[in-house]
Amino acid sequence: MEQQLTVWAFYTFSALAVLSAFGVVFFKNIIYAVLSLISTLIMVSGLFFAMGAELIGGLQILIYAVAIVVFYVLVISTVPEFKGNSVDPAYMLVSLPIGFILFLELAYVSIYGAWQSNVGLFTNEVIKEVGNIKAVSTLLFTKYLFPFEVASLILLVAMIGAIVIGRKSHVIDEEEAK
Amino acid sequence: MVPYEYYVALSGLLMVLGLVGIIVRRNLIAMLLSTELMLNAVNIAFVAFDMKVGDVSGQVFVFFILTIAAAEAAIGLGLIMAIYRLKKDVNTETITELKL
Repeated sequence: MEQQLTVWAFYTFSALAVLSAFGVVFFKNIIYAVLSLISTLIMVSGLFFAMGAELIGGLQILIYAVAIVVFYVLVISTVPEFKGNSVDPAYMLVSLPIGFILFLELAYVSIYGAWQSNVGLFTNEVIKEVGNIKAVSTLLFTKYLFPFEVASLILLVAMIGAIVIGRKSHVIDEEEAK
Repeated sequence: MVPYEYYVALSGLLMVLGLVGIIVRRNLIAMLLSTELMLNAVNIAFVAFDMKVGDVSGQVFVFFILTIAAAEAAIGLGLIMAIYRLKKDVNTETITELKL
């Protein structure tokens, strides 16, 4: 029963995710594109839950579908309506073979790529016993503690950078100086 | 149980869609949206391989990708705002300062 539920969840979530991804790429109105992106992100989060990655699924909704999308909506509200073609037909012709080649390459790597089976700290039994969240956070705060701290530094730098770049006075001052 | 190859195929499809979006769209904000699609494709692949080998390292990296995506969105949208103030437009065809 549970297995059957996973299969149904996969097909539903993946079909909706691909459908909304098409919306992100091809909607002319940018608001529709952002709403499709929210739909895609929530469906991907559902796929994470179906794969048993509860922590990442929750973070996906909290960080992506809420925080990042709010950034986009904020910027869209200040930038007025986009004039001109949203999709360029000439580039469309170029993108199809390039996309196809990329897909072939990804398929080749995933099917024939010989990766070594990862023999890490955790096995399926251990994860089942302690739970996914505990397993992920144990690895995050032991083996990957330094990258974790670096990630917080990157967020700080990004915040300061966004404030400095987005400051209004700085652009106007340069124009007046000219 | 769904085999992990299906998840990888879905990830490849989303990745290709993101690339097509970056090539095709002329709106800077829409191009950034397509990069978010590509990042999500990578996340799905990480978690799918995790499911196959029975480990959680991939999920730790998904966590890092999430933080980097937040930083990327903040900086990218800040840059778009700056470009908009300078050019009054977000069309890639009009941003030609670096063209010879």
